[in-house]
Amino acid sequence: GKELDGEPTVTVRAVNSRKNQMCFDWGPGRLLVSNEPPSNKKEMCSCPFIYIIRKDVDRIDERLTGKIQKSQLVRVSKNYRSVIRACMEECTSVFAAKDPANGRQFSSQVSILSAMELIWNLCEILFIEVAPAGPLLLHLLDWVRLHVCEVDSLSADVLGSENPSKHDSFWNLVTILVLQGRLDEARQMLSKEADASPASAGICRIMGDLMRTMPILSPGNTQTLTELELKWQHWHEECERYLQDSTFATSPHLESLLKIMLGDEAALLEQKELLSNWYHFLVTRLLYSNPTVKPIDLHYYAQSSLDLFLGGESSPEPLDNILLAAFEFDIHQVIKECSIALSNWWFVAHLTDLLDHCKLLQSHNLYFGSNMREFLLLEYASGLFAHPSLWQLGVDYFDYCPELGRVSLELHIERIPLNTEQKALKVLRVCEQRQMTEQVRSICKILAMKAVRNNRLGSALSWSIRAKDAAFATLVSDRFLRDYCERGCFSDLDLIDNLGPAMMLSDRLTFLGKYREFHRMYGEKRFADAASLLLSLMTSRIAPRSFWMTLLTDALPLLEQKQVIFSAEQTYELMRCLEDLTSRRPVHGESDTEQLQDDDIETTKVEMLRLSLARNLARAIIREGSLEGS
Amino acid sequence: MGKMVSVINTVDTSHEDMIHDAQMDYYGTRLATCSSDRSVKIFDVRNGGQILIADLRGHEGPVWQVAWAHPMYGNILASCSYDRKVIIWREENGTWEKSHEHAGHDSSVNSVCWAPHDYGLILACGSSDGAISLLTYTGEGQWEVKKINNAHTIGCNAVSWAPAVVPGSLIDQPSGQKPNYIKRFASGGCDNLIKLWKEEEDGQWKEEQKLEAHSDWVRDVAWAPSIGLPTSTIASCSQDGRVFIWTCDDASSNTWSPKLLHKFNDVVWHVSWSITANILAVSGGDNKVTLWKESVDGQWVCISDVNKGQGSVSASVTEGQQNEQ
Repeated sequence: GKELDGEPTVTVRAVNSRKNQMCFDWGPGRLLVSNEPPSNKKEMCSCPFIYIIRKDVDRIDERLTGKIQKSQLVRVSKNYRSVIRACMEECTSVFAAKDPANGRQFSSQVSILSAMELIWNLCEILFIEVAPAGPLLLHLLDWVRLHVCEVDSLSADVLGSENPSKHDSFWNLVTILVLQGRLDEARQMLSKEADASPASAGICRIMGDLMRTMPILSPGNTQTLTELELKWQHWHEECERYLQDSTFATSPHLESLLKIMLGDEAALLEQKELLSNWYHFLVTRLLYSNPTVKPIDLHYYAQSSLDLFLGGESSPEPLDNILLAAFEFDIHQVIKECSIALSNWWFVAHLTDLLDHCKLLQSHNLYFGSNMREFLLLEYASGLFAHPSLWQLGVDYFDYCPELGRVSLELHIERIPLNTEQKALKVLRVCEQRQMTEQVRSICKILAMKAVRNNRLGSALSWSIRAKDAAFATLVSDRFLRDYCERGCFSDLDLIDNLGPAMMLSDRLTFLGKYREFHRMYGEKRFADAASLLLSLMTSRIAPRSFWMTLLTDALPLLEQKQVIFSAEQTYELMRCLEDLTSRRPVHGESDTEQLQDDDIETTKVEMLRLSLARNLARAIIREGSLEGS
Repeated sequence: MGKMVSVINTVDTSHEDMIHDAQMDYYGTRLATCSSDRSVKIFDVRNGGQILIADLRGHEGPVWQVAWAHPMYGNILASCSYDRKVIIWREENGTWEKSHEHAGHDSSVNSVCWAPHDYGLILACGSSDGAISLLTYTGEGQWEVKKINNAHTIGCNAVSWAPAVVPGSLIDQPSGQKPNYIKRFASGGCDNLIKLWKEEEDGQWKEEQKLEAHSDWVRDVAWAPSIGLPTSTIASCSQDGRVFIWTCDDASSNTWSPKLLHKFNDVVWHVSWSITANILAVSGGDNKVTLWKESVDGQWVCISDVNKGQGSVSASVTEGQQNEQ
């Protein structure tokens, strides 16, 4: 992920607060955003940055065991914000290249992302950074400067012109700089005005001095709040005196600036357009009337700022309610409002998770405490499963839901379409890593059945072995054996030859493996071993009775060899097997009741076998007798 | 928790008459629909598209419901109809064909539901003749039938299986042996009752419970998937406009308590659970599909309102919805 130690440098467009609802939906591989609720048409933009978010999650949980430092949490929070901003940038650049007709739609998507970042940033200041009185205002100023950024384009326009101080927007620029507390820059502007019109140089200088001397807490400043308040009080009184003395009466612009710096509400409200929103108004108001405002007093100012700014002309938007709830330090309300306004779960899930790590949810005594975090994470993760590749992310999220994560994962993972072997293996690995044996079994069975239907027996067999499904392994082994009987050869020899311990999964599979081994031995001319194995397959009852005829027939070439392979003892065994088979007597312990067909071919075969066995017996007895004798 | 649902796809099925059921398959890649025009249609709905894969004819009356079997058995779809028949369709080598027909009912068959795959391939069918039949696939194209006569007086409208729950550990099962599942399902009928059925050791089905709360015909029952908690949940809806959520704390002795989700102004036809049982979809005669969610404090809240169109099927919004690239 991206580390962010300093302030973000990306400029952000202002939020279009005239929308009624922010909608936000995930779709396949892309971000779907819509302006209105249920609509059939959706626009898409690519958003690859979700993978960065994943790394953040990992990082948080490394520290779950240890104590989490506030600075770490702030850093994580900034990471999230940088992700959102990167997303915005991506959207912007992608759409810049596209059809300008869609520009409006795409820019609104950027606005939504901007709103998310705005909210997140405020939450970071209030809940995670927990800025106390003093630094609080500085953070809020930064916040506003980041999000109301017409300043920069305005600045470029004005400064880039031949005579900046004569530019139409000159005074707007100066005003907005003052509104944002950027007094150094405002002074620089004024000096240009002083140069351009010497008549006003004097009052410009006075104003400049006022701006220069405004006491403000700077980072690393060692003065106490009380000291600051005192100094500020003096400065404020000085400004007041200049107003009383009508020092700036000759320049309405400067006079207006003075009133702003005195925190005059009416003067501020005159600048509604430049402020563009109530929270800017709030921060400016605080800057120039109560810079050491305490966090707990924020909400009072926030509510009144909203009311004054809207002036009864319009009603609060969802975004306004969210911000208000934040200023009231009502985290629960923030999350609730965000859930309603932003129909995508990403935002609330991650924000709640982060706040949970700050131990904030519990301290607010919510009825459901940390369960809310899990509740939201589950929702988010479920949504990810609708995506062909993001499901893997969903797995990670479920892993971090201690109560219902596992079972949710179990239910979702079986529903992932397994179109490629690669995907199936990925899914199986996920299940096996988590000992989800039922899911492994189920998925392997689905794949095994599919393979059988497509006559890919080798594949079917390996899936059933992986599933440790004995019944299915038996079924597939039977198919193999049937195939062998029909075609006289085995398919997928590699697999069968290398079964290893998996052979033990089912009797039928063991037989298949051993039978193949018999064939190998015969091929290698290890006749004695082959013969013993063949016999043992029958005597140990591993071979199904239905297959005995085939086995006995396999014995024929061994019986017909020049040298004697089967011993007399073995030959007696073989004869016994043959008699068992032909007598139609069910052998004790065998459940298989397959009977021999009353067939001419069968009868001939049996006769041949009897003859062969008899001949072999004779030869074996003679050979063993003469060996003994010599 | 607010409006967070939107229609993402509309499928024009070209059915010539009312559509009675629409079901996504296990992976959310296919949609099966059935209609009064006697046909069953299957669509490939990946990537927001809609490609007609099959137009299945075989029923002689309106088809009321369709149900997909678990993919491990292949691509199998069951349908039931006013013509008193249940047809099981199967995809072989890329084409859909009628695989089996069950004609054991004297009246319209209203509902079909496949049992959890762990039990094998078993289909429950509820009929207006009051009986419930259970078809079990025994191999080689053969189906064994068990019938529960007079399950509901006047008629049975809905059947729904309980999720598979095994006593003891599955991992230690000896190879090849099936664990001893306790099979259960719920049925809803014209006697205003919901009945819970249990399979006894001798293979017979016995009525285990009667759930009474509705004042008119029960139109649908849906047993929620299990999320590992010791409670069981069933949703039911009725001609009386009410939807109840029944919960049973398995630790105690099988007492089911109903909670009224909502009273609608019209008959409620269907209820359906999402994969993890946290969203219930309800559709009714007021032409609306609503989605309900239990919030963390235990209250059921409506999270959306989606209006049903005329002559088209809205893809149901479930978490399992898949869109392939």
